[in-house]
Amino acid sequence: MPRIILDKISKSYDGGQSIAVKELDLQIEDGEFMCLLGPSGCGKTTALRMIAGLENLTKGEIIVGDRVVDAAAKGVFIPPEQRGIGFVFQSYALWPHLNIEQNTDFGLRMRKIPKKEREERVSHIMKTLGIDQFRDRYPSQLSGGQQQRVALARMLVVNPDVLLLDEPLSNLDSRLRLEMRAELKRIHKVFGTTIIFVTHDQWEAMTLATSIVVMKEGTLQQLGTPEDIYERPANRFVAEFVGNPPINLVDLSQKDSVPFGHKIRKIFLSKYKLKIDISLIGLRPENIILFPEPVVQKENHFYSSAIVTGILPIGGSWIVELEIKTIQIFATTNQVPEYIINDQIFFEINLSTIHVFDEKGNRILFSKETE
Amino acid sequence: MNIKIGEISQENYRWGNFHYRLKIGWREPTTILGVILTILFFYLIFIPILSLLIDAIQIQFGDERRAGGILGDFTTYYFERTLFSPVSQILFWEPLKHTLSISFGVILVSLSVGSILAWLLSRTDMFGSKWFATALIVPYMLPSWTFALAWRTLFKNRAVGGLEGWFENLGMIPPDWLAYGQFPITTILSLHYIPFVILLFGNALKRFDTQLEDAAKVLGTSPRNVALRIILPLMLPSLMSATILIFAKCLGEFGVSYVLGLPVNYDVLATSLYRSIASRQTGVASILAAAIMTIGIISLLIDARFIRESRKFVTIGTKGAMNRINKLGFYRFPATMLASIIFMISVALPLLVLFLSTVMRIPGDFSLSNFTFDYWIGENLKFAYYRSGILLTPELWVVIWNTLKIVGFASICSGILGILVGYIVVRSPIRPIATFLRHITFFPYLVPGIAFGAAYLSLFAIQRGPIPALYGTTALLILALTADQMPFASRAGISAMMQLGKDPEEAAQMSGASWFSRMFFIVIPIQKGSLVAGTLLPFISGIRGLSLFVILAVPNTDVLTTFSLRLLDYNYTQAANAVVIIISAIAYFGTLAAQKITKTNLAEGLGN
Repeated sequence: MPRIILDKISKSYDGGQSIAVKELDLQIEDGEFMCLLGPSGCGKTTALRMIAGLENLTKGEIIVGDRVVDAAAKGVFIPPEQRGIGFVFQSYALWPHLNIEQNTDFGLRMRKIPKKEREERVSHIMKTLGIDQFRDRYPSQLSGGQQQRVALARMLVVNPDVLLLDEPLSNLDSRLRLEMRAELKRIHKVFGTTIIFVTHDQWEAMTLATSIVVMKEGTLQQLGTPEDIYERPANRFVAEFVGNPPINLVDLSQKDSVPFGHKIRKIFLSKYKLKIDISLIGLRPENIILFPEPVVQKENHFYSSAIVTGILPIGGSWIVELEIKTIQIFATTNQVPEYIINDQIFFEINLSTIHVFDEKGNRILFSKETE
Repeated sequence: MNIKIGEISQENYRWGNFHYRLKIGWREPTTILGVILTILFFYLIFIPILSLLIDAIQIQFGDERRAGGILGDFTTYYFERTLFSPVSQILFWEPLKHTLSISFGVILVSLSVGSILAWLLSRTDMFGSKWFATALIVPYMLPSWTFALAWRTLFKNRAVGGLEGWFENLGMIPPDWLAYGQFPITTILSLHYIPFVILLFGNALKRFDTQLEDAAKVLGTSPRNVALRIILPLMLPSLMSATILIFAKCLGEFGVSYVLGLPVNYDVLATSLYRSIASRQTGVASILAAAIMTIGIISLLIDARFIRESRKFVTIGTKGAMNRINKLGFYRFPATMLASIIFMISVALPLLVLFLSTVMRIPGDFSLSNFTFDYWIGENLKFAYYRSGILLTPELWVVIWNTLKIVGFASICSGILGILVGYIVVRSPIRPIATFLRHITFFPYLVPGIAFGAAYLSLFAIQRGPIPALYGTTALLILALTADQMPFASRAGISAMMQLGKDPEEAAQMSGASWFSRMFFIVIPIQKGSLVAGTLLPFISGIRGLSLFVILAVPNTDVLTTFSLRLLDYNYTQAANAVVIIISAIAYFGTLAAQKITKTNLAEGLGN
């Protein structure tokens, strides 16, 4: 069964001058729906293309199932057309001179499958994806969403063991995106194919993937379930990259953050008996609970007051900008604000929702998590 | 998470890695194809030029005694003879002076008239600007010496035999300075390059971000200062580029100078080169060709620099770049008159004169009885070089067939090679091959046609190794023309492949298609259009090309252009003019067809 192993794969250009992917180690289990997430230029697409065989390796090995398909040091290279992997391009890359049926049929034709079987399989896949009414049309006559379906059908028709998707939804408008997200989930369920996809959109990753790989500058930052990534970011980069509005980071090395940040630091150091010193604190906006009037401080909570400096409605909820001494933080709330700018309000934060990082920006595990 | 698959020693690793690179490099025919193309173009472009340069420093057949050595010895004799001997004035310095003075005249006239017209056409409400935008480009589609023939038909005097000129026949004998030499050559080349300025400068004007202009106006700048301090400095790179390109083109200009300079021994570098070859002074010819080539390369390198410089000016705007129209008001009518006059003298009049000259017995006599179609379709003509009208002359049809064969075959070759070069340049895993191919196929652009012809002559005049002497054969013309057209063909191919991108081919690869399947089912079908364009453009440019052929063609392998020139040398003006009309018609309609197919702007892709 295809289990994909990336063993320290690296890709560099110009004789090592610029590195796209650096010693990426990864194992993808059969039937997984994995997402490579990261900002543009982080090497995620390069990694995907390396799995497909569209890029060569500089170092490392790729194993699909029980077959080494790419190993720079051993001189093994199985060309993309023989890897049994499907790839959906960001641009869809439908062939403009072939109609939808011919586009879908191409892969089967290349495999020299008898005409009758080809017709059946093409018809079946086109019905499954709801594009059979476009059979005779050409790609330029279809909308983005329809083209996307054709691109999927074209790859799925040959029953690939693995399907790779490069930014599959980035060219669609928000409504279609939602639709295609559901469609992809359904395809994953129906076909049981292992899917690896690349995106820079955190919501896409969160909603679709069974596991997420966060990458930065060619290196793996964190591998985990969507929950892991959001609730337990491994480092400052992951914490900052995931979440909207972004996480509030309080840098303790900065003078202004001392009164507020150090209070939290002291609580953590004494309560959880940390061995490593905290130099960065992360607070998710939604974990900051606001009160217009003073309340009684709960156990295991941090409690303080702040001045409101901005209220931004975002339809159904609000982003509230707070000033605590000299630092600014953002909170989100679903409660209709009963305060106006320059009012003093109060807030509490459950200590278990606070993220703490060491001086290198790595997450510090505290007792609640280590237990 | 971390799975170890055996440690590999450093040495094994290195060897394995090398093996891996090799495997990937040679996995697909792309690399082999790249190597074949590299060898082919090395031979077709680099070797002839090398051979030419070697000819310049080796003693040639027949010069042993004068150069004081034996055949094949290295010598500086030709160098000294061309540049420093008593005859150097005639061979090199005078022609150089003429070439330079013509070039500067042409640049001055065509830039000043062309840029005014470009502005009128692209930025004002002049009457019929759309029609003029097409009509004024026509001269650029036709061979420049078409207009030289028209000039000669009008202003010819007794310095040359044969039929009289129109004015001479009307009793006004044109002086030599008006009939031949610098004045007419400069005038005709200026008219020919005005469209070039209109295209280049007009495009730059159209892309100009009018917000930059508005910003100055808002700050209270007068229109004059806007033009002088905002628009002109930003347009400078494109004007410089036009200047240099015109200079480079004038440098290799042969036809016009031949038709109008020869009668008064007014030589330019190109005609001096032609004469040296005609009088079998191979060594001197090589020096001259090398000189033309060097000046050409230097000027185009300067141009490349300007283009790079001009990228610093970001004049390509966003929404501000819409084409703002200036109201001319009172000047609307005079502006239209100017465009009309230029159209009259650069298109209508010359073509009319050429056509009338082929249907008149006595030049310049407009009585009805003087008109005849004999020169086209007559029979038993008594006073003409051929006994029957040109359309009934078998020679013409042989020449047309020759032309179609040579130019057609060469265009198809360069079209296909262009796409292949494009493919290799974009796809080859071995980058040095891609880089080499991109540069070498562009190289002929730097070499004026006449010098390139001389280079081919130098390489193929005698048998070398297994390759027989090709001089006088059709094959030589096809090879030379193919190589000469590669800059256009390969640029078209590269841009087509760039535009296509990797995705469609990689998608086919992911669908399990082998290299050949990808080529035949995906790449070539998609590139059908640009393949047609890549063939048609070289065809048009080849049909009207003269300078390359004039050195390589012999009566046996005449093409339409050299045939027309030969008829002119025989003083059979009507037939020469008729052939030029045929060429013009093919070039014009071919350009329109190409424009339709490629959906691009007129004549823009046509260098030459």
